[in-house]
Amino acid sequence: MGEIFLALEQSGLGAAMRSSSVLYPTANVLHIVGLSFFFGAISIMDARLLGAFQPMPLKPFVSRWRRVAMAAFAIQIVSGFMLFSAEASAIVENPVFRLKVLLIVIGLANVVAFEVVTKPGITGWTDGRPPTAARVSGALSLAIWTTVAIAGRLIAYF
Amino acid sequence: MTATRRIALAATAAAFLGAAPVLAHHGWGSYDAAKPFTITGPVKHSVFQYPHAHVTIDHQGKTWEITLAPPSRMESRGAVADVIKEGKVVAAFGYASTARDAEMRAERITVDGKTYEMR
Repeated sequence: MGEIFLALEQSGLGAAMRSSSVLYPTANVLHIVGLSFFFGAISIMDARLLGAFQPMPLKPFVSRWRRVAMAAFAIQIVSGFMLFSAEASAIVENPVFRLKVLLIVIGLANVVAFEVVTKPGITGWTDGRPPTAARVSGALSLAIWTTVAIAGRLIAYF
Repeated sequence: MTATRRIALAATAAAFLGAAPVLAHHGWGSYDAAKPFTITGPVKHSVFQYPHAHVTIDHQGKTWEITLAPPSRMESRGAVADVIKEGKVVAAFGYASTARDAEMRAERITVDGKTYEMR
């Protein structure tokens, strides 16, 4: 298993990330800008699920911001993979990095659970106190992705 | 309190919680800043790469890995790759890692009578 990460680190990409004066800083900046867009889109969807912006119908609101979130997520995966490749064999052993990856998986599972279970059940709801399932989904999402961001920042400290 | 206001409050609280570790300078959290010391010796191995340049120097029976600044910052301070190449006698002033054995984070290095700040 560890050999895959060593191979990634020793690949052309890993070597380029370590030697180029442009690539590492660029990926770093992209990861921050991507995070801004991602967290913005996520938190506004979660706010809607928690009961904010009630005049706006839930479904189109969520599907519009979901597109922004997915585009930003793609930026995060690409820039994150670039940063990871520079030191893959060391970072994969980092406990905070492992926690972050686990939380991303849980966060994505929460999205799937919302789309498959929660959303079909709350189609009729447009205003008033959001159904419990919606509020739980939004609160979970906010907590998970905030912790992902914190864990990401803390990789460099462990 | 309206839901919107409640969420704004929660988001503000989350932002402050998230900001706390960021306020500490990156990379210095797990180093013992209370006990700075100097390692002086010839560079055994030199790596001038992102995210941080580093050198290894023998010190008190151990080979220390000394973490320096990113190459772009090293170059802007005049500490180009040749300054820290193998064999150069480097005096590194910094802090020992509290997480890893024999790792130092250098505050500054002195080579051939010239001092280069690492942050």
